[in-house]
Amino acid sequence: MLSHRKPTLSGRYARTAYLFLAPAILFFGVFFFLPIGNVLSTSTRTGPQADRFTGLGNYARAAADPAVHHAFLVTLVFSLAVVAGSIVLGLALALALNQPLRGRVAFRVALLVPYLTSVAIVGLLWRNILDPQLGVLNRVLGELGLPPQEWLNTHPLATIVAVTLWQGVGYTMVLFLAGLQGIPEVYHEAARVDGASGWLRFWRITLPLLAPTTLFVSVMAVISGLQAFGQAYIITNGGPGDATDLFVFHIFQVAFDSRDFGYSSAQSVLLLLVIVAFTVVQLRAGRRGEIQY
Amino acid sequence: MRRALTYAVLTVSALITVVPLLYMVSLALQTEAETLSADPVLWPASPQFGNFAELFERAPFGDFIVNSLIVAGVITLSHLIFDPLVGYVFAKFRFPLRNTLFVLLLATLMVPFFVRMIPLYVMMAGLGWLDSYQALITPFLMDAFGIFLMRQFIQPIPDDLISAARIDGASEMAIYRKIILPQTRPALAVLGLFTFVFQWNEFLWPLIATTTPEMRTIPVGLTLFNQEYFTLWHLTAAGSVILFVPTAVLFLVSQRYFVKGITLTGLR
Amino acid sequence: MSFTRRDTLRLAGAASIAPLLAACAGAPPPATESGTFTIYWNAGHDYKAYREVIAEFEKAHQVKVNLQKYQWPDLRTRLLADFSSGTVPDLVEEPGSWVQEFALSGNARSLQDFVDKDGQAMGFPADWLPATVERNSYKGEVYGVQLHLTCQLLFYNKKMFTGAGLEPPTTWAELLTVAKALTGDDVHGIALNQDYTYLWPWLLQAGVRAYDAETGKVMVPREAAAEALRFQAGLVHEHRVSPVPVSSTDYSGPQKLFAAGRAAMIITGPWDIAPIKQTSPDLELGIAPLPSHRERATQLAGTSVFVPLKARRPDLSWDFVKRITTARVEQAVTEEVGMTMPRTSWAKLPEVRQNAELKAFADAFPHAEDPGSDVRLTGHYGEYTDLLKTMYQNIVIRNRPAEQELQRFAEAAEKAIRG
Repeated sequence: MLSHRKPTLSGRYARTAYLFLAPAILFFGVFFFLPIGNVLSTSTRTGPQADRFTGLGNYARAAADPAVHHAFLVTLVFSLAVVAGSIVLGLALALALNQPLRGRVAFRVALLVPYLTSVAIVGLLWRNILDPQLGVLNRVLGELGLPPQEWLNTHPLATIVAVTLWQGVGYTMVLFLAGLQGIPEVYHEAARVDGASGWLRFWRITLPLLAPTTLFVSVMAVISGLQAFGQAYIITNGGPGDATDLFVFHIFQVAFDSRDFGYSSAQSVLLLLVIVAFTVVQLRAGRRGEIQY
Repeated sequence: MRRALTYAVLTVSALITVVPLLYMVSLALQTEAETLSADPVLWPASPQFGNFAELFERAPFGDFIVNSLIVAGVITLSHLIFDPLVGYVFAKFRFPLRNTLFVLLLATLMVPFFVRMIPLYVMMAGLGWLDSYQALITPFLMDAFGIFLMRQFIQPIPDDLISAARIDGASEMAIYRKIILPQTRPALAVLGLFTFVFQWNEFLWPLIATTTPEMRTIPVGLTLFNQEYFTLWHLTAAGSVILFVPTAVLFLVSQRYFVKGITLTGLR
Repeated sequence: MSFTRRDTLRLAGAASIAPLLAACAGAPPPATESGTFTIYWNAGHDYKAYREVIAEFEKAHQVKVNLQKYQWPDLRTRLLADFSSGTVPDLVEEPGSWVQEFALSGNARSLQDFVDKDGQAMGFPADWLPATVERNSYKGEVYGVQLHLTCQLLFYNKKMFTGAGLEPPTTWAELLTVAKALTGDDVHGIALNQDYTYLWPWLLQAGVRAYDAETGKVMVPREAAAEALRFQAGLVHEHRVSPVPVSSTDYSGPQKLFAAGRAAMIITGPWDIAPIKQTSPDLELGIAPLPSHRERATQLAGTSVFVPLKARRPDLSWDFVKRITTARVEQAVTEEVGMTMPRTSWAKLPEVRQNAELKAFADAFPHAEDPGSDVRLTGHYGEYTDLLKTMYQNIVIRNRPAEQELQRFAEAAEKAIRG
């Protein structure tokens, strides 16, 4: 056992590590794990006051509930689209803006501004723009002689994906920009000297060295994609019908409309397990991809 | 040719992101009747700058701004202190349970906030902290997002730098402060910006944790301009424009650090 | 200070007893400031007349009133958090469906003792429209007092009707004919709302009950419900006399189209009168009874006030209820904002009789019903309405077959109610 041995060098650093971690452990224990523990215990109870014990009843109910399955499927599609879109677009824009271009600060500002405002305001704004009857977009399209759109009814899920990307792409761009700053120029120079083409340099040097950033961006994008809520809450109210019934929006309705905190807690725990699984897989894959230098 | 294409793509992208926001500015300058019209007004006939003054007349909007600044400011400061330290530990130390603790840490990101909200509210009520800055601030002093971000950015710093300093007899805190921190400036700028933006726009918790108008933050205060069956758009939009100003300023200040240019990134 | 593996395990152990600790943390609810009287109110209902009542109340009891204004969803979130923590406000305004729900869940206080004592003097329940008392009662006891009373009627653009030589429709068949005649280039005959609550008047006229407690069936008779849904989908998709509604949390779309002269008719309540007059002062607004079908009916709605069970000074809360619901205050609010009110004596006021719009509502109230009561008393109203929203939009917006959607709704809703 560890305690029988004389403290080795790594043992000493372990102590330092825990010393540095102490405030964090205390903080996360009180403000995250106490409440999460509470969620776990609530998930075994039922009734409007969540005061009747039901064991795993809520979990069994969720497993057989078509509305839960549907919401999960909607969320999965939404997340995959948002994750792929934000990585590809964010990286492309970051690469473009990492060059010595005239006016690049202005471009960076322009691309990030949607992120600086809140999901709620962005949602209200886009509802105002996209409304087929009352929105400003159809007015503009009309003046340009183009046919009116009705995307909120014809392609509701794609529309909220687009709005999410519209708001979030500047954020991934900034993360990639910061990551690109960490890549020493010498690598590129060496490759250039060797005569490697731009694409080759991107695949062989930039992308591998960006791996820690890419891992971070994709893990966070999956987490926030699976937890997306405001888009459905503000823009579509989950509709039309249940077309944009994102999982967390669904849980919110179960909790606060139906006042079934037990059932909503059980669904949150299931969501937690799904996201943990996704994240562990990503971290495993990421560890293989990470370059130590 | 390639450069021209890059400019074209960037210009189109920038227009797509900015023009809808200009429409918000337009709404903020319209009369109430213009915003309520079924035939949307692109730009007001005569800009109503009085809308901004009306915000302050109809609600303690000055209080909202001060509260938002205090809450988001203190939280951002706390993140800048703690997140890099914890991120450093996860990036560079080997210790028992490291991976388990890291996954547990990430797990804290995976529970939607409103699910934790009621237990937190009960806790704050028990402490008698409701309607105070403590209640608005303490639950957000650190988060796994910032720690994970810093870990990812500290990881590429060569281990040799740390070993060398240890051999020179530097204390662990000195290594962190003198060697690690200076190298993470771009990441710290990003962290500060994102933390501030996130807290500045936070809605649900300030809504629940405050009970008097004087303790409200801007996003919560803005809901006062919604009527039962319709929204006072000119005021909501004017408030949103105000809400947007500090985050934009902060971005302009911080972006210098994370986009300074490849040549200045330092030691390697 | 240093950590060993054992310490870490201890920490992990601490996390696992978390629920216990959290339960303890909730034990002592801190008293709200004793001199403060807390009210939750809808952000749109902060009227001068109520401010005066508050000022008098503060003076009479030497308390400070903290009037907290919220949107309905925010108010509900807040209130449910309060019920969990035990710190509750002294009085709550609610949108019409919460009193029975919270009576059933044990979070609202019965006001029957107060009513027994003071009812005669204040005219409760004698002066209130009976349906407004019924929807605020549970197991024969009163839990809330109706504050505002509304219902949905047919709003029509008089100029468009006289221009086409038409009269407001009195039946569904006439409605369709008239709507077809009035639909033109940029004008729709009618604009349906995306919100499912606007479905109720149609169901009521078709003679449908939301839930039959004896059989455990929802939407009976089923065929009549399908007919009502088919009729609305037909207005939108087959006859194209209404634009396709767009799902959102906003109800004001049809009102805006109507105010702009882009819809000739809408079905709505008194809340839309003021916005219409404000944006289109020249529009000649006509208000008629809803076109009827098997029955003449409309949906009764409007807010009530109730007292949380754990409110610390119920007698004070009750005194506020009495003050805010007097005939004099009702009259003042009507004068101030045109709100319609639940007292039968209100409906007889000369100010109401002489005002064409208010009179239309006053005359319609005796036909108004609250279709939700039967569902609320099952304790599954939230699930029922979430399912109803999905069904309504699938049919009216997405044009899915009414029978099939109704069948799916009924199965899910009946299962939810069985628990």
